[in-house]
Amino acid sequence: MIRPIGLSASGLALMLLLPQAVLADSDLPPWSERALTEDVDLDALAASEEDPIAVLQPLGEKLFKAKFTTLDGAGRPDATGAIVPTKVRRKSHLAFQRLAGMDANACASCHNEPVTGGAGAFTANVFVSEGFESADFDTIDPQFSNERNTNAIQGAGLIELLAREMTADLRSQRQAVLTKARASGQPETVALETKGVAFGTLTAGPDGTLDVSGIEGIDDDLTLRPFSQKGVFTSLRQFTVNAMNDHHGMQASERFGADWTGSDDFDGDGHTDELSPGQISALVAWQATLAAPTRKQDLPDIWQTAAKEGETLFGEIGCASCHIPALPLESLTFQDPGPFDTAGTLRQSDVGMPLSYDLGTLDWVKALPRDAEGRVLVPLFGDLKRHKIADAKNDTFGNELLAQRFVARDVFITAELWGIGSTAPYGHRGDLTTLDEVILAHGGEAAGSRKAYAALGENERQSIIAFLRSLEIAE
Amino acid sequence: MTRISKAFAASGESTTNTDVTPVDRRENRGPLISRDSVWFALSEVETRSASASGQASRPRIGATLVRGDTGCGACRSALMAPVQTHEGGSVTRKTTWSAFSAIALVLSATAPVAAQDEILTSLAPVPTYVEEAQAAGLDHTYDGAWEFFVGGGAAILDCNGDRRPDLFLAGGKNPAQLFRNDSPTGGALKFTAVATGLGDREADKILGAYPLDFNNDDVIDLAILRLGENLLLEGKGDCSFTVANRALGFDGGREWTTAFSATFEPGLEYPTLAFGNYVDRSAPGSPWGTCHDNFLFRPEKTAEGGVSYPEPSRLSPGYCTLSILFTDWNRSGEAALRISNDRHYYRGGEEQLWAVPPGRPPRPYRKSDGWQHLKIWGMGIASVDLDVDGFPEYALTSMGDTKLQKLDVEADETVPVYQDIAFDLGVTAHRPYKGEDLKPSTGWHSEFQDVNNDGLWDLFIAKGNVEAMPDFAAYDPDNLLIGQWGGTFTEAGGPAGIGLDRRGRGAGLADFNSDGLLDLVVVNRAAPVSLFRNVGRGTEAAPKPLGNFLAIDVRQPGQPNSRAVGAKISVKTGNHTRVKDIQIGAGHASGQMGFLHFGLGVAERANVRIKWPDGDWSHTYRVFANSHVIIERGAEKAKLWYPE
Repeated sequence: MIRPIGLSASGLALMLLLPQAVLADSDLPPWSERALTEDVDLDALAASEEDPIAVLQPLGEKLFKAKFTTLDGAGRPDATGAIVPTKVRRKSHLAFQRLAGMDANACASCHNEPVTGGAGAFTANVFVSEGFESADFDTIDPQFSNERNTNAIQGAGLIELLAREMTADLRSQRQAVLTKARASGQPETVALETKGVAFGTLTAGPDGTLDVSGIEGIDDDLTLRPFSQKGVFTSLRQFTVNAMNDHHGMQASERFGADWTGSDDFDGDGHTDELSPGQISALVAWQATLAAPTRKQDLPDIWQTAAKEGETLFGEIGCASCHIPALPLESLTFQDPGPFDTAGTLRQSDVGMPLSYDLGTLDWVKALPRDAEGRVLVPLFGDLKRHKIADAKNDTFGNELLAQRFVARDVFITAELWGIGSTAPYGHRGDLTTLDEVILAHGGEAAGSRKAYAALGENERQSIIAFLRSLEIAE
Repeated sequence: MTRISKAFAASGESTTNTDVTPVDRRENRGPLISRDSVWFALSEVETRSASASGQASRPRIGATLVRGDTGCGACRSALMAPVQTHEGGSVTRKTTWSAFSAIALVLSATAPVAAQDEILTSLAPVPTYVEEAQAAGLDHTYDGAWEFFVGGGAAILDCNGDRRPDLFLAGGKNPAQLFRNDSPTGGALKFTAVATGLGDREADKILGAYPLDFNNDDVIDLAILRLGENLLLEGKGDCSFTVANRALGFDGGREWTTAFSATFEPGLEYPTLAFGNYVDRSAPGSPWGTCHDNFLFRPEKTAEGGVSYPEPSRLSPGYCTLSILFTDWNRSGEAALRISNDRHYYRGGEEQLWAVPPGRPPRPYRKSDGWQHLKIWGMGIASVDLDVDGFPEYALTSMGDTKLQKLDVEADETVPVYQDIAFDLGVTAHRPYKGEDLKPSTGWHSEFQDVNNDGLWDLFIAKGNVEAMPDFAAYDPDNLLIGQWGGTFTEAGGPAGIGLDRRGRGAGLADFNSDGLLDLVVVNRAAPVSLFRNVGRGTEAAPKPLGNFLAIDVRQPGQPNSRAVGAKISVKTGNHTRVKDIQIGAGHASGQMGFLHFGLGVAERANVRIKWPDGDWSHTYRVFANSHVIIERGAEKAKLWYPE
């Protein structure tokens, strides 16, 4: 295990207080403006007997709340916010800029409603651009970026675990149909389905080829990417690496380091290897263990009654066909790095042994219901599938002009509704102030449910609102 | 790029400065130099003052010089140290410092040295190659008398339709062999020798082979280069072949054939074939100045709708050709024939470029056309458009330094004037990078590929003494020049593990076990064939991936030229585009047909467009990394392929 060199007496004292794998910079004065003062040796932690959650969670929380400074390497004068390391065409004279970024110096400065890690108000919207062409946009004109509201992260660990299991399941079905086609000598088709969610069809040829034109709601590589409004990030780790660069100009070495860019200071701010794999893991761990949203307790009888009726109606009018109340999760073991990330996000092959921690040790997970097979029922109110959500008659959600990472402009992943009672305003742009408005904004594949909702009487619609408002992020 | 200057080290000052200095940012100005900015960019890459064209003026560059000039073991240790640091996956400045220190110690006791001598280590990841020919069942040797000092080709093709690359290996005096690829996906390489269908006489005296589909049946055939009658082998789809010379009306001749290329000329349904010939042994005074003409066979459609190749056009004079390539050098849509020739035997000869205008006789570009006289021991051509300006660059292997030609920035598209940028980009590879031998190298097969999947082209060069030429290096290991973000290349053959003491000739890079990492086969003269498995950042027992990759197969179903020879594949990730042409030819007696490999670096997805042979562009295909993609002309979506 690596130890910092030249420990001062105070530094040694600090080290003794810290878990074994955490490395602290002992040379900083107590008034230091640096946010990055600790690191984690991943290999040492993985090999140790220590509970990674106990080691990583406190550091992750600290980093999530930290206001990164130029002393840490905040800012990216030479780089855009793109997911692939990309140089700016011309430098901005502004270190901070709310449009092309960097647009924040702390995760928690946007993810803070109702608590740290939560959603953000309209004032915390971000402007999502691929960061390649016109990466230095300075207008809210939607031809340059998509304006997005800040998502809540609570429960993200379970979401990622669900996505991993669904990816593995779908890939297993892919392998099976390939084997079947090879054996039969003729094309074979499989209806892709996992955890009760259908993802279209896949046809395999006897020569090992695949016709992917029947796949629905997921990328052709059958990697379920559950994160962001669009559903384009595979893992909390991938999302974190991207967000740290985009929003803060803090570049993780696993993507922006010398291996993949030829430089250990790709953003040209004079700081090398700004974020280590250990620091990213800490951020991942904190997000992954963030308690999932719950239901409001101690509701007055009138609300309780309305919510119960609303929940029933929610299912009856078809909302629950996409906003599925719960998906079953087989395993609560969270591995970091995860199994489906690719180069640029730390992979399991990049480390000696991935960290492995049991979310089942967390009290809030223990409180979740299980099915007859012992699987945890994750009450996400979602299906982790993308849908076309706008049409000509109702194009509120078709207000973006730019496709994002191959996903069409009017297609979004089903928003998980857990916690929605705490995350107003609504919609991917955060520009709908009431739940009634956001329900009526649904088009495309949700048009039928929207019509059914619109056809309900006022009391029935109110009961659905009562139900949704009962889904909260606990404070 | 980490640079270790001898002069800097010898001065004894600041040798630990790299401990605090960010990695050289000059290397990070984007993927590569643009055509318009080439000299601006190059001037930043290096400040060495050698001219861009004079080969005689550049014997003293690169890592080998540090060792060579000092001739000491300590320097060798120092040399190896920084390279080894990358095996762990990151730049370790401590080791770089030790390299500095070691060199400083050594050089403090030596004579003053040139300021430009430096050690370059690759910042881009260096893959590890594991040699496993014997274990893989690839037991084959290319050998023979003087006529087989050259040749030794490998054809990489899918001979049984399972989309895995199989191997046809020339044997010289030994019979050529065909090996079916039975490698498990992601596992150790495994090949099984299968019958070729050739008779004993036909399998003998083979120098090289190139895959192509000459009869448009969408089954890969082979053009076989021999000492004597060349053969066109019709593939049957089950790894068996039949000689089609008679059926095609093809006269295989009696020449000593050492090069091949094919293209589909505009308006022709079948390929035009070009055969490059070496010395005419029957001519008076042979071998000196007695080079044979090269031949161009244009297809003729038979009454039954088939193809025949009755009479060749002579490309005269021939200058003892060892590599040829149909290439659209000026993005005119019309391929010309670039010919690399061996000055050892010709008299008054030079490198050649022949215009092959459709329906008209070929004609050589001459001085009046702008073509510049260049004499090299031309052995193998490698071509790729490094800076994606539409004008390919050409690496030409030779004895001594490798050339890298770029269309002159001042030239227009009608004038083939080239500048040599090999020195500036660090690909001269003129001398062995390890061992004690300071004599010049002898280069043969060359090929641009992306061996570490970082999205940058790398350059492989097979090396080996002709036989026992005393003026050239005897121990001459193959090169693996790793592309860097600043546009330069850095030698990594040693740390990659391919620097065997064998005389390389033909070769090929292909993903034999479908794991997304390009493996390497090298045909050696008078020694067993080498088969290297790329285990990425891992080990033989536990391979580990490097960057993301994409393998692309392009087809024109139901059309002539179903394999889309002449098409251009464009792969874009972010603002970075790489292009590759589907070509038949080049290298040294070695060719391949099948999936084309692209490294994607850290990109998770890519936009792929195809410029079809007739010039039409496809729409953009959106594909995800780490997959095998099949793009059929007109298809809305790309198909995927998964190995068993």
